[in-house]
Amino acid sequence: MSTPDDDRISYLAGEPVDALTPQERAELDELRTLLESPATWEEPDSGLEDLVVSAIAAEAQRATAVEPAPEKPKAQSIWSRWRPRRPTLAFGGLATAAAAIAVAVVIAVGSNTAQPLQFAMVVSGTSLAPGAHGNATLTKTESGWRIELAATGLPHLANGRYYQAWLKNSAGILVPVGTFNDAKQVTLWSGAPVTQFRMFSVTEQLANGNPVSSGRRVLVGIAHPVH
Amino acid sequence: MQEGDLRARFRQGDPDAVRSVYRSHGRLVYAVAYRVLGDRGLAEEATQLTFVKAWRAAQSFDESRELGPWLAAIARRVAIDLYRREALRTADPIESVPAADPSLVAAPQSAEAIYDVWEVRQAVAELPADEQEVVRLQHLDGFTHAQIAERLGVAVGTVKSRSFRAHKRLATMLGHLRE
Repeated sequence: MSTPDDDRISYLAGEPVDALTPQERAELDELRTLLESPATWEEPDSGLEDLVVSAIAAEAQRATAVEPAPEKPKAQSIWSRWRPRRPTLAFGGLATAAAAIAVAVVIAVGSNTAQPLQFAMVVSGTSLAPGAHGNATLTKTESGWRIELAATGLPHLANGRYYQAWLKNSAGILVPVGTFNDAKQVTLWSGAPVTQFRMFSVTEQLANGNPVSSGRRVLVGIAHPVH
Repeated sequence: MQEGDLRARFRQGDPDAVRSVYRSHGRLVYAVAYRVLGDRGLAEEATQLTFVKAWRAAQSFDESRELGPWLAAIARRVAIDLYRREALRTADPIESVPAADPSLVAAPQSAEAIYDVWEVRQAVAELPADEQEVVRLQHLDGFTHAQIAERLGVAVGTVKSRSFRAHKRLATMLGHLRE
């Protein structure tokens, strides 16, 4: 003869059971719904750990950047308190302001979006290359996005092995942005917009004609706009 | 690594500490995010943002509290924000959206429902591998015991035994959810 616990277990396992109250059934149905939910079983991409580490590394670096000390307000003379305020820019100051406005207009005309023109990122080594680290700037140009990477801790690859850099968007679409042998000073190019493809990675590849990612990620980073 | 030392090093951005916290809670954070968003890419983005926000708030974290529920609460808020952002971006008429589109089926969840996802995910993860597989094939994939037996190459009786043991463990671990 089954016990009440056995009945609940059997019902949870999907077997027909009569000796349960409607409330018990409703509670167990909720649990079964959660067991049937993809959220209970979906596994994140194996590279997500590295991206989390890289994102926090970038935040830590920004947090420790030295902020310039706020300027002390200049002491006002007695006269300045009584005189009406007038613009006091010297001619040189006006010229500088005009030049800044002109540059801003050129940038605005040259760009068809209001988004920042430069991104930056800290890159961190993965479990395959824990000692690797560096940074990169990503700059929008007429030819595409120029990625200037400087990273240490990765060995020089040759003899049929090389590094491949990638950008990925939130949908998981990978775009190749260049191959190289040494990561100390590399310039890469992306035709895909960094504004949408912000997850950066470098994999070790074999020169065997196979263009797909080996999955052997050695360096990862997330691009953030530079304000 | 001691818990207090781990949190201190997490706050400093120590990569080892960050990896340790991610390995103990990352899948659960992801499960919460996926429950809200129903999309892998968005759930991964939410997971990253959750850990960054947790890092920023680590100094104000009450050490008498458990880390898991705190991370779950952050993950829920982050996922809901992303859900709203995506809802604003997608301006198509609702009739043009397929019925199974995640933006329709994955509405923001209550805090209690999110915590239930966390608990169920954790309970499933603690099952022995052979029992976890039977539960997955049964509930997520909808296979019968006979179909599971054929897929796994074992007797139907073996599947039934594993299923009973697994559900007994789950009922024990999750019984408090409805108290």
